[in-house]
This record gives sequence, structure tokens and C-alpha cells, in this order.
Amino acid sequence: MADDIRRWSEELARDPGSLAFLLLGEALRRQGDLKAAHRVAVHGLKRHPHHADAHDLLARICVDQGELDRAAEEWEMALRTAPEHPGALKGLAFICFQRQQFEEAEDYLRRASLGDAPDSGVRAALDTVRRSSTSIEPADVDAARDAAAGADPQYAFARILETEDRTALLLDGSGFVLAGAYLTPDGRDVAAEVGAQLSGVSDEANRATRHLGIGEWTSIVFEAEAAVVAMAPAPEGGLLLLAASAATPLGLLRRLLDRCTEQARRWMRWHGDGRSGTAAPGGRA
Amino acid sequence: MSSPFQDMLASLMRLRGVAATMLVDEHEGMIIDSILQIGQDGSRVAALAASLHRKARLSSDAAGLGAVSFLQLEATGGRICAAGRDGMVLVVIAAPGANIGLVRVELLKAVRELP
Repeated sequence: MADDIRRWSEELARDPGSLAFLLLGEALRRQGDLKAAHRVAVHGLKRHPHHADAHDLLARICVDQGELDRAAEEWEMALRTAPEHPGALKGLAFICFQRQQFEEAEDYLRRASLGDAPDSGVRAALDTVRRSSTSIEPADVDAARDAAAGADPQYAFARILETEDRTALLLDGSGFVLAGAYLTPDGRDVAAEVGAQLSGVSDEANRATRHLGIGEWTSIVFEAEAAVVAMAPAPEGGLLLLAASAATPLGLLRRLLDRCTEQARRWMRWHGDGRSGTAAPGGRA
Repeated sequence: MSSPFQDMLASLMRLRGVAATMLVDEHEGMIIDSILQIGQDGSRVAALAASLHRKARLSSDAAGLGAVSFLQLEATGGRICAAGRDGMVLVVIAAPGANIGLVRVELLKAVRELP
């Protein structure tokens, strides 16, 4: 990602009118550098004040900064330029959802689902909103926030992991990657390979603990030379994997594992049965 | 007849909370030697523990993390600990109250002494 940021920064320096600011701002947002992302988005909007994607970008940054009113204004501006902009519709659905305005949220999501390429997340979000008209859980709000922010499955755990030497993967029962990512130090993406090797772990752990009569398994931790890796069962026979530097205290690892497991549950709830999610390998978590 | 591994397994069995110890062939999942309590059948657990260790090792290889030294499966009513070297895996079944820090140290020491 650092290379991309450098490349897009150079492109913007060469051509300040370039739309590379959209990619740069999004990359900075995902990296958690919200101040820089905000600056890039605002500069971009000065040159492209009627670009819906630019307003969508700034809105997502505002959500991350906790400025929901400002985010709503930006998404409304995006809709004035592009009335069916999917990001803006999902974003406004999220804002309404958080304000418990379920009918409006449902309306925005229904419009988003009619677009040219509605994603599975929109359908699942619609279900959640319909369910939530009677009860709303904070976890649903978090998941809605990620979906509204256009959260790529690869970055599903980024908010929890915080540092680059940690990574998390959510695998389905067959070892396919549902969310998260695994990059080696040299930048190679090995999420799919790691997932394939761990296929069946959950099932074997279940069989071993059942045979011994020691209850449900809660975690598997293994120590390697360069990292410590923790795994926990995920919904629907899936597996959550968290890797951190070998120097990470085990207590901290356990806390991170708990938080990632909870995030995995939310992610799967928001993305339906998981199989509708993107089984894609990814970039850095 | 006593095997060359009995002393090593017996020393692990003496640790608090340890219910069984096994030396397992990682590839075949077969028990090479074991100390089990009366009524225990370790063969299935041995195969599953060896498989878990192999999967951890292969995933660690895939991620470029280097050799796996210690693995621990935690369940609500006990733990399975494993450490391996050169195709052999030492497995310990422990109760929830076991001193896992000590089990880990002794397991790693025992693995280093494997021929």
C-alpha cells in the first residue's frame, strides 16, 4: 500500500487535476491516516466540486472521524450529482440506521439494491434493517458503519489490528478466505495459501475435544519463529486466524483474538451466510 | 519392555494436571510411545493432534513464519499441547488447572532431546 500511496502522490504532484486523489484519499483512510485523507479529499473537491465519488470519499472519512452530520451532508451532495450513487445511498442508509430511522434506511438500501451492480452486502443490510425495526444492537451499528464506509473485506479487521505487524483472516469451513488478508514481509499475498493449509482445522479440533470429552475448543495458539498465531472458531464452521509478531504478549493476543472473533461474527451477520461474501485473497489487513 | 522415550514421557506425566503424554509420528499420526491412564484410547487424539501440528507447520511455511515450536489447543475442559521436531510430535493432554507455562517449557526441552 505504501508504494501505491507514493505513486498516487507523485501523480497528483505531476498533475494536480488528476482524479488520483480519490485513490490516494481512500488508501490513506484505510491506513488510518484520517487527517491526511481528509486533506487530500478536500483539495480534490476544490478542483472537482461536482464529482460524486469525491463527496463519497469525504463522507467516508467523516464517518471514520465520527462526524456523522458532515458525512450526511457530503452524501446528500453526492446524490444531487448522481442520484443513484451506491456509496452515497449506503452511507445515508447507515446514518439513518444509526439514528434509528429504519424506514428511511430501508428506502436508501432498496434504491442501492436496484443499481447496476448491487453487492451482497446491500441485500444483507436490507435484511438487518428490516429486522432491526424492532430491536437494534450496537454490533449491527458497527457492521453497518463498515458497510457504509465501503469496507473492503480485506480490511474487515484493520480497525482492531492497528499495527502493520498484525494480520487477521476469516476463513470459511473449506479454508476459503472470506475477509481479512495475509501479506508476507516482502509484500506477497499468501491469504489463500494459508487458508488452504488450515482447511479442516476447526473440524479436527472439534473431533479431538469431543473424543477427550473436554468441551468445546475455544482457541488454538501456535508459536513460530517469526510470529505467534492464534485461531478461534468462527460461525458456520469457519475459522478466524490472527497473527502477530513473536514479541506480542499472549494476554494481548488473546484480547485481540476475542475482538477479531466478535468482528467476524458481525461481519458474517452483515454479509449473510458468508458464502455470499467475497472469497478473495487480499492486501494487508 | 521399556522404550527409549519412557523416561521423557514419564517426566512430562509428573507435571501437575497432565493426564496423558504421547510421542506421535506427524505424517502417519501413529503413536510411537505413550503414557495413558487406564481406560484412555489415545490413538484418535494422537492422529488429530499430529494433523493439527502438521497444518500449523504447513500454514507457517506458507506465511514464511519459520518453524513451529509449540502449539496449544484450549477447550473449556482441558488443553492439548504439542511440540514437534523432525517428523515427531510430543503431545500432552492437560486439565484446565495445569501449569501450562511449565508444561510448555518442559515440552520444548523434551523435544530438543529427541534423537
